[in-house]
Amino acid sequence: MVHDRNAVVREVPEYGRHKGYWKRFMIRHRDAVMAAVILMPMLAFWLLLSGFPTVFGFMLGFFRWVGLADSPKFIGFDNFIRFFKDPIYTQSLWRSIWLGGLVTSITLLAGFGAALLMNLPLWGKGIYRSIWYIPAVTSTVATTQIFNLFLDTNNGVINNVLVSLGKEPIVWQYSVGWGIFWIVVYSAWKGVGGAALLWLAGLQSVDHSLYEAAEIDGAGRFGKLWNVTLPGLKPIATYVVITSLIGAIQIYEQVLFITNGGPYGQTEVLVFRIYRDGFWDFNLGMAGASSLIMAIIVIVITVFYYGWSTSSDRRTTIPLKPLRKEK
Amino acid sequence: MRSSNARARSFKPLHLFGHVVLLTVGIVLMYPLVFMFLAGFFTKQEFASTVLGIFPIPEEPTLRNFISLFQTTGDADALMYFRNSLFRTAYMTVASVLTSFLGGYVFARLRFKGREQLFLLLLATQMIPTTIAIIPTYLEFARFPFMGGNNVFTGGTGILDTWWVYLIGGPAINIMGTFLVKQSLDKVPIELDEAAKMDGAGTTRLLFQILFPLQLPIIAFIAITSGLGTWNDFIVPFFYTNSDTLQTLPSAITRLSSVGNSPGAVVNYPLIITLSLGVTLPALLIFFFLQKYIVQGLANTGIKG
Repeated sequence: MVHDRNAVVREVPEYGRHKGYWKRFMIRHRDAVMAAVILMPMLAFWLLLSGFPTVFGFMLGFFRWVGLADSPKFIGFDNFIRFFKDPIYTQSLWRSIWLGGLVTSITLLAGFGAALLMNLPLWGKGIYRSIWYIPAVTSTVATTQIFNLFLDTNNGVINNVLVSLGKEPIVWQYSVGWGIFWIVVYSAWKGVGGAALLWLAGLQSVDHSLYEAAEIDGAGRFGKLWNVTLPGLKPIATYVVITSLIGAIQIYEQVLFITNGGPYGQTEVLVFRIYRDGFWDFNLGMAGASSLIMAIIVIVITVFYYGWSTSSDRRTTIPLKPLRKEK
Repeated sequence: MRSSNARARSFKPLHLFGHVVLLTVGIVLMYPLVFMFLAGFFTKQEFASTVLGIFPIPEEPTLRNFISLFQTTGDADALMYFRNSLFRTAYMTVASVLTSFLGGYVFARLRFKGREQLFLLLLATQMIPTTIAIIPTYLEFARFPFMGGNNVFTGGTGILDTWWVYLIGGPAINIMGTFLVKQSLDKVPIELDEAAKMDGAGTTRLLFQILFPLQLPIIAFIAITSGLGTWNDFIVPFFYTNSDTLQTLPSAITRLSSVGNSPGAVVNYPLIITLSLGVTLPALLIFFFLQKYIVQGLANTGIKG
């Protein structure tokens, strides 16, 4: 009996009895403990820097909050209703979309052409590749200032050249069309090299035996391009197109530095509008509502892409974000 | 290989076309940077009096602008901006390499409940555009408890306009980097880990002496991208700091540009060009020496997945 009772007591964990409890716990859950030790601090800082501000930003959309000294007031969906009623916002949203589409198509088409040429066995093609990619590593702030120097009204390079050719100088800053034009030119300048590199990697991943097979079947250069290269590029193409599009509809730095939204806010894109609402007009509620709408658009595009690409090809299950920005 | 050599040697009109197009457009693409470089040789006076042509060649070229990058001149403390940029970039590069590597290790090698779900959740957050967090982050920094004269939430300026703005981002996990390291570690057989443990290597030794060198290409890519990203970033210093002693090169340029000035003010282009050279030339140097990793890494992120 006595022996039995001791045995029962032993199985009930009591303080001070099981000195090895934590040690054994550590050994049994070694991986989980280590993962927690490594991940917890990194995730905590990530939540502080990205998670919380993002959620906070979405919540701002449901409040009326004008000026930092003001106290926020819950107003439900009023900001969103205003977004779709006020032409300032609907126009900037529309401009984001078509400007993004324009920039994406120009960059990708030019990049594709360049990639086709870089894929030829040319002497020094590595040098071409580097030169084309260089704009992508430069700072947007610095290079847009050089573009501004080209476009300066008083001593701008382009106007000086126009004058020396006997033409009238153009005040670029007064014209919406020219503003958009230079934003597109800048974006293409910066993006075309990266697009060419991605396409080139895609071209090189196409199975070479298919080309040989096509050659045996008597296909010419264009036949091979049409029947082998393009179908082979399809999975990569969806990835390249979607990431570029997502990046391009969020363009705002070049807008900020080249036109600053002018003339009269007619080159404003949505993300620029968010910046303007937040830092100039201190209309934090509208900034939050606009960000939520932007995020929803991006998420919808991404989800469509995922659905489409996983149903057609499983090779490109990759997260959708160009690896450039670092906070 | 032989056939491609033979092809390269024989003359083909298509190849000539390729050379002409790639070279011409390449020169056009380089033009703004060439212009920046040439404009860097002007003295301030000459720049103001010259009618800028397509290729601005100064009559009395000077190296003063390049030298003043490492000096405190009357116009601006370029050296200080340079140092701030350099410090911030070095810190963020080391931090994001560490967080990506450790994060990648955790998700590739350690087994724990909810690992896949957590990883997918983190990847999903990458869809959300980062620009939308700028304003909430500003508010969060301003209300940081017990900092900058704050009581629990308000009162002072929080950590705005302090070094904490730059430091706080470091330990946060770099999700894209984590993804890349995990992808790359998944290809390393786990037997390697086991063999190392058999030979008596601890986890730290396994991580930093065995796995880290193996991941060097992808680590280099993460370091370059996050380093260049931080080096070129104007958002954090421009929006969250105000004092001159905290500015980096990009934010100093932003403040001099029309964005930071009142509308209609005369923009100090010679100084902007000097600082722009300070941002651009180091980035180009890094690119030239490490472009192999960029090309490889881009191909990896984009295609092999």
